[in-house]
Amino acid sequence: MALDLSMPILVVDDYQTMVRIIRNLLKQLGFEEVDDASDGTEALARLKDRKYGLVISDWNMEPMTGYELLRHVRADENLRTTPFIMVTAESKTENVIAAKKAGVNNYIVKPFNAATLKSKIEAVCGS
Amino acid sequence: MSLAVARPAESRLREPQAVIAELSEIADYIAHLREEIGALRANEMSQDRIPMAHEELGSVVAATAGATNTIMEAAEAMLGLPDGPGYRDAVEERINTIFEACAFQDITGQRIAKVVESLRLFEQRLARFVGAVKARDTASMDPTERARRARAEDLMLHGPQADQQVPSQDDIDALFG
Repeated sequence: MALDLSMPILVVDDYQTMVRIIRNLLKQLGFEEVDDASDGTEALARLKDRKYGLVISDWNMEPMTGYELLRHVRADENLRTTPFIMVTAESKTENVIAAKKAGVNNYIVKPFNAATLKSKIEAVCGS
Repeated sequence: MSLAVARPAESRLREPQAVIAELSEIADYIAHLREEIGALRANEMSQDRIPMAHEELGSVVAATAGATNTIMEAAEAMLGLPDGPGYRDAVEERINTIFEACAFQDITGQRIAKVVESLRLFEQRLARFVGAVKARDTASMDPTERARRARAEDLMLHGPQADQQVPSQDDIDALFG
């Protein structure tokens, strides 16, 4: 499945090691344009500054959670079509359903492997 | 005419005895309560064990973060190694670094065991105290704690689930059709 490897990706996680892991996995997949933010508030600011081809976000962050970020993104006229993958330890079915209702494109439970991340990116962004 | 005057003499005699008995029971209960409070060893908990637990858990976080960084740096360095005659030696050197970094698990395991032991002791003492004084939880809750819980509930912040409760990625994928 063809992926646009030049598209900028925003990784949102308050745990820098996880940002580093996802960055490395994305690099292995061929993505070079990767930015990061440590919570939803910082991510929203970045999303307003640059057009991203994909947001990969954690759920549990302070002060703005990934779920709140998702709702903000889907409510914003300019951002609402941005593909959004939740990567989180929040694995309760109610979380998955809420995220789906809020418009998430895919949902990955931590810990995950490179193959899962790749297949979800392909499913969401592949042409 | 007061009621006391109207009561029979026997009743008037029994009354102070009943009061004394009751006071004696209260005094016994207070003494028992003091013993139970003492058995909690709250000072030891607040001045020794809880700070120790904070310190140990802080060390665990620092050690795991340090080890993770070391491992990731070694892995990233391997990914960036050029092909050539020195490749194998360079990879082996980094693999040894990874092995060394994994030694953190032994130390963190011991630190966590100390914290678990303190928690067990704390649980044991609290359970004994609760049983001894027949404590019941009040309905009211600290406002900060109430706000924290309300936020966690609203935003579904449950944190990681117990291993056996975590749905598989396939289960989650099924929800997306």
